Amino acid sequence: MTALLVTGLHKAFGPTRIIQGIELSVAKGERHAVIGPNGAGKSTLFHLISGRLRADAGQVLLDGQDITGLPPHDIFNRGMARSFQVTSLFPKLSVFENLRAAAMRDGGCGLAFWRRLDGYAPLRQRAEDLLAMLGLDRRRDVLAGNLAYADQRALEIGVTVAGGAHTILLDEPTAGMSRAETERAVTLIRRVTEGRTLVMIEHDLGVVFDLADRISVLAEGRVIASGLPDQVRGDPAVRTAYLGAAAETLDA
Amino acid sequence: MLAPAQVIVARPRAGSALRSMLPWVLVAALALVMPHVVPGGFGLSLLCRMGIAIVFALSFNMLLGQGGMLDFGHAVFLGLGGFLAMHFMRLADAGWWLPLPLLPLAGAVGGLLAAIAAGWIATRRAGTAFAMITLGVAELVVAIVLLLPGTFGGEEGLSGDRSSGPRVLGFDFGTQLQAYHLIAAWAWGCALLMWLYTRTPLGRLANAVRDNAERVGFLGYNPARIRWLVFALSGLFAGVAGGLAALNDEIVTSGNMGPDASGGVLLMTFIGGIGTFWGPVVGAILITFLSVALSTVTDAWQLYSGLLFVAMVVWAPGGLSGIILAHAPLVRAGRLGRVVPGYLVCLPGLVLAVAGTVGLAELAFRLQAVRNGASPRPVFGIAVDPGSLLPWLVALALLLAGALLLRRTAPPARAAWQEASVASTAP
Repeated sequence: MTALLVTGLHKAFGPTRIIQGIELSVAKGERHAVIGPNGAGKSTLFHLISGRLRADAGQVLLDGQDITGLPPHDIFNRGMARSFQVTSLFPKLSVFENLRAAAMRDGGCGLAFWRRLDGYAPLRQRAEDLLAMLGLDRRRDVLAGNLAYADQRALEIGVTVAGGAHTILLDEPTAGMSRAETERAVTLIRRVTEGRTLVMIEHDLGVVFDLADRISVLAEGRVIASGLPDQVRGDPAVRTAYLGAAAETLDA
Repeated sequence: MLAPAQVIVARPRAGSALRSMLPWVLVAALALVMPHVVPGGFGLSLLCRMGIAIVFALSFNMLLGQGGMLDFGHAVFLGLGGFLAMHFMRLADAGWWLPLPLLPLAGAVGGLLAAIAAGWIATRRAGTAFAMITLGVAELVVAIVLLLPGTFGGEEGLSGDRSSGPRVLGFDFGTQLQAYHLIAAWAWGCALLMWLYTRTPLGRLANAVRDNAERVGFLGYNPARIRWLVFALSGLFAGVAGGLAALNDEIVTSGNMGPDASGGVLLMTFIGGIGTFWGPVVGAILITFLSVALSTVTDAWQLYSGLLFVAMVVWAPGGLSGIILAHAPLVRAGRLGRVVPGYLVCLPGLVLAVAGTVGLAELAFRLQAVRNGASPRPVFGIAVDPGSLLPWLVALALLLAGALLLRRTAPPARAAWQEASVASTAP
């Protein structure tokens, strides 16, 4: 069963063609990594899938339903959530309130202004559970804008998964992290995406080969290889795209 | 299995709910006592104005502080609410049985409907675009109001008689004290509702949209829809303020909804502080007091509230409530004593600078008065000739001396505060 199916996706900014016919298929429950050199169009691909940008041509199917061209909130409500490469939180809300706000839609709040937010006990519980899972329980009432960088990245993942989406897109979740922080992040990602479909952009190939069930390689707006980690590692086209230092990492 | 745990969770929450209601009880008591503290017709009408301004400023901060929306035409909703209320008051004048203490409800409906209509277009955008749309909408509405003298009374506005309705619950508006009690009750109730709103899902989502509207979209909510709903509710409360103003003044004009009124509510809300719920209340009380009390003393009072606004934007963007909040941890940790000496050292410079500024402003206003043929009133009890150079030089010297003193004394005071607050918030 396919969780996410992208066919014939195109996107140009003025004369610059960023995405040139992407085909991508992600099975349900799979952890799928999207890798590729800088400027390959990885983040743009995520923007197109998640509704931040509109595609010029092509189709995106989530669970077999066409979500092409829908606004972000509709796509979220069909079960797909995403994180951002540049941390995107609510800086003047506490860590707890960030998580609770993220869980609200799924918690059945709607836009109620006649009921107390504290009255939604399961919602509160979910935010507390996530706090513990993220290891942020001691920072519960700190404003998100005042958190340390690694904690903000962890919260970014927490906010993304809080709404109960079945398909999760993570855009470079370990960017800018130290070795130890990266290891913690990988454990966290493994845990919070348990039983869900994960699509992840990642530069750290160690993380990619550690986490991913399948890998797709993007170069110049196209998928040049897609398959099991070992297949991708040996693919000559991938080696051409990844000249130099990165090619050695592929061998590692 | 879940039930016992819920009971255990519920108990401390009930206690904290009672505790959080305590300030509201105290405010109600204060509102009842105030007419005896500030006696006389003048004091009473001042208190009435404050009550109306509090509701208006709180409704404005639902947008600015809590929702990140800078509305340059907020007085439109007060004005249209006021006009609708005034039409009902005139129906009562014409003999209809209408309980006038409930007149602010008509204001609420007027403000709500106007905000739903204006918000439909304005809240599609945020930030600067939103602010400019509200400015345009305000211009448009004021122009329309003046174009329809049959409905809005033209330049003179509409007036009515609040004592013409039936006597309800002992209210017949025979005295200004009755009017005050009614306004205070409405203001208290509206403030409570607006506070409760901040603790609802929509209230929290408004904060989220303020902080990062795009991310809200990726969490399943349409941020424009949230802005629209908040805008409508804010208009509703502004309309209540308009209904109260109609009851209090017995007249509503296009001036109630013009740019001056919209600028005024921005001024008082910001000076009070947009970062707390109660900041706008402080601002509404202070600016209303200044506009009424100061205007009897000097013609330059608008200049002073403008200067206060600029000073706040530059040096204390959190407003008065921000200043108070910045000292709360110090008070709790018993470290307030560490900053007081530094503040006292700043005082002479501050006094000199304010005296110099006031001197210059008063001289400028007197020069204008003299040119118009009036005899100049004394400044600080000293007879001066605004046409001669000496008083200008003295005022300028005072201002410069104060500014120089502050440049030396303010940084150490600030450093002392910083040190004390770091020590107070450290775990």
